[in-house]
Amino acid sequence: MDHDAVREQLELAAVEPGGLERLMAGDTATAQAVAAHLAGCPSCSAELARLGRAAALVREAVREVPPSDLKARTLAAVRAEGVLRPLVATVPGGPAEAPVPTAPVPTAPHDATRPPAATVVPVGPRRLSRAQIAGWVGTIAAAVVLSIVTTSYVVGSRVDDQLAAQGETIAALEEVTTATLAVTAEPDAERVALDGVSDPSLDGSLVFSPTTAELVVVASGLTEPPAGQEYRCWVEVDGQRQRVGRMFFSDDLAYWVGPVPAVAGLTGPATFGVSLVEAAVPATATDPVLLGEL
Amino acid sequence: MDARERAIDDAAVVRRMAAGSEAALEVLYDRYASSIFAAAYRLTSDRGIAEEVVQETFLAMWNRAETFDPAAGSLAAWLHAIARNRTIDRLRAAGRRPTLVAVSSAAAPDEDPTATLERLVASGSIVGAANPSPGPEQAIDTAGMHDAIAAALATMPDTERTVILLAYQEELSQVEIADRLGWPLGTVKTRTRRALQRLREVLGAEFGPGAGLDVVPVPAGEDR
Repeated sequence: MDHDAVREQLELAAVEPGGLERLMAGDTATAQAVAAHLAGCPSCSAELARLGRAAALVREAVREVPPSDLKARTLAAVRAEGVLRPLVATVPGGPAEAPVPTAPVPTAPHDATRPPAATVVPVGPRRLSRAQIAGWVGTIAAAVVLSIVTTSYVVGSRVDDQLAAQGETIAALEEVTTATLAVTAEPDAERVALDGVSDPSLDGSLVFSPTTAELVVVASGLTEPPAGQEYRCWVEVDGQRQRVGRMFFSDDLAYWVGPVPAVAGLTGPATFGVSLVEAAVPATATDPVLLGEL
Repeated sequence: MDARERAIDDAAVVRRMAAGSEAALEVLYDRYASSIFAAAYRLTSDRGIAEEVVQETFLAMWNRAETFDPAAGSLAAWLHAIARNRTIDRLRAAGRRPTLVAVSSAAAPDEDPTATLERLVASGSIVGAANPSPGPEQAIDTAGMHDAIAAALATMPDTERTVILLAYQEELSQVEIADRLGWPLGTVKTRTRRALQRLREVLGAEFGPGAGLDVVPVPAGEDR
């Protein structure tokens, strides 16, 4: 075995868990060939020493690099748990906020080959604050106002249709608002942010109470599904996915309100998801478009 | 950007964040998350705790942005104080003690060493100590080396960074990396060697690849 071949073996062993130790143990034909070369080659022995030191240092340094998905999880935690502040340029289509210059930081490919980290992992107590409740209700109220204003500005002769649609919108939002207030009044109410799995423009939130098993979910970015399909909500507990219901649509708001037995007394981990499925098919195994960790 | 300019800029970004700018929050994350994560990891040797500390620190910063007073100290020191308290809380909850670390490794970016020491003492949990008889490797500025490695990682191609992080962070073998990424084993090996080569080059002669095949061993004790 020549110098280059030995150094290749050393370099590859240096990034294997315990690789250099195994190579030095000499219990394979390759390892024995390397050992024989090292015994008579000071330069490759020196390379081994430097490589060992470098590998240890790199390993130590790399362990201090945060995973790549930590940023998204941290931002999601702030959204879910942080105090409400007037959002700056986070409305799709709104005026863009002036960019803030920044430098790249190294992050680990924690999920380099795994499904996208679609779930939010809030930190700390998840009890809703007054501000968050007010924010939730405020968002819905804003949607009501926006819907009414938008509809009112439509000029045309189909006034009855407009009024009917407007009435449906108001009724839907009233349902969401009422249910939200009821759920958030529970002492164990929890709020969970939902993230788009493959489409970052999708997001949503849900509130639920393990005591009453009532759950309210709203989502933005979803459009009404094609005929024959529906956005189906489900909860997965202990690997078992249970159908919850289908999302309703009112203007730009997609929502679902009602009891979910699967979250009654929930103490362990569970996942809430929304999948686009064929309405006639009862299965819920389709890949989700929205996900969140309960 | 020097320390003073950075402090002024930090204060401005915090004000934007307090006004509701998530972009400003992201900027501050990009600036400080890595050092906070590293500091928490050095204290705990637990990446899970370090992740939680980062999340909680930035959540606290968001919630308490108005209480940050740039005249009282740098944002880096403020964030690291929060992070350290969160770390200690986690360790206490787990019935553990902090890992022994060098004071220098707990310093925030641009923080004066004396200020670092005072901050650690004030926290009631100082654990830093100098090795009374540092060997050649310990004499090297480890934190500086780590920074150099982090910088090299940040600028290397994604494919190379990926294999290095999977190897050293997740302790995957070459075969496992190939399987995970769906790459041919030969490709993984090539990229791994190239990535390791890049990292060694920034570490200097003591760690770097030999300049040629006539490199002679460095006698013990003569390492810099």
